[in-house]
Amino acid sequence: MSDPEIIEQLKQGSELAFKKLVETHQKLVVNTCFGLVHNREDAEDIAQDVFIEVYRNIQKFRADSKLSTWLYRIAVNRSLNHIRDNKKNRWFHSFEDEVSAKNKQLQQLESSNSDQPEFELENKQRATILYEAINELPKNQKVAFTLSKYEELSYQEIAEVMELSVSSVESLLFRAKKALQKKLYKCYQKKCM
Amino acid sequence: MKCKAVHNNLIFFLEKELPDSEMKEVREHLNSCPDCALFAEEMKKTFGILEVEKAVEVNPFFYTRVKARLENQEQEQVVGRPLLVRVLQPVTFSILLVLAVYGGIKMGQPYHSATGNDGLNEMQMIPYLNEMDAEPIEAFLME
Ligand SMILES: [Zn+2]
Repeated sequence: MSDPEIIEQLKQGSELAFKKLVETHQKLVVNTCFGLVHNREDAEDIAQDVFIEVYRNIQKFRADSKLSTWLYRIAVNRSLNHIRDNKKNRWFHSFEDEVSAKNKQLQQLESSNSDQPEFELENKQRATILYEAINELPKNQKVAFTLSKYEELSYQEIAEVMELSVSSVESLLFRAKKALQKKLYKCYQKKCM
Repeated sequence: MKCKAVHNNLIFFLEKELPDSEMKEVREHLNSCPDCALFAEEMKKTFGILEVEKAVEVNPFFYTRVKARLENQEQEQVVGRPLLVRVLQPVTFSILLVLAVYGGIKMGQPYHSATGNDGLNEMQMIPYLNEMDAEPIEAFLME
């Protein structure tokens, strides 16, 4: 079943079409949410709501637009809302402090669980650094970076999802990468890596 | 190329987004500068996390959970109805009470007015009242 066929049948109330829609696109939606919230459970939770929103609003969906563009938009909006609602107060903490605190927690957790190989810990620490760095990016840079890195969308596709020009997307990605590089370097100097 | 210039472009080097000449310069610097080479290696591993994350398999129970959540939400909407009934119930009783009082007054009137048409008036009044009372009660039971 192609996307237009799925949509047509879903508009007529076919449950099978909804199942097909979820199964075909769940990876796209979960990955996008994960790229923004960096927690598997939360990402799946948000993704479920994304599909429920699609189910309830399918009649409003215009046949000439792309289903994936719509899914990306809902996934991005819902993930950003989730981040906004769960924002911790971090007025006094620098990026490096936050990362070292999290990594210390990780180390304590791991040392009590000795059968874990060491590279696992290293990778978890790297993941913490990367997520914290991505989290600190301005909203639009974060979205562009996630769609580019987690979903490998082209500049053109990102531009469609974000309703921006291709050159704006290029500039967002350039600035995002610069900022991430700077944060990682700071971290590297302070040995928080 | 100096270390600082390498640090500023490392991510674009790793993403192979630099012009060929600069790619070559960075590569040469990394071959001769262990410090930058170490940072480059660490950065590569850090961004490599993204590749691992992307490859995670999707949850096989995902659709079942979406379906369950959807059905739950629809049920909650149905459960929401008693609230409506709780409001409608006192309103219905109040209307019935007003009607009963009004009906009582109307029913009492024929006895007060001592005219010759008493019997006829009463006959006309009773079915009229019954109708008034029965309808809201039925409507209430159907809710
Ligand atoms: Zn160097």
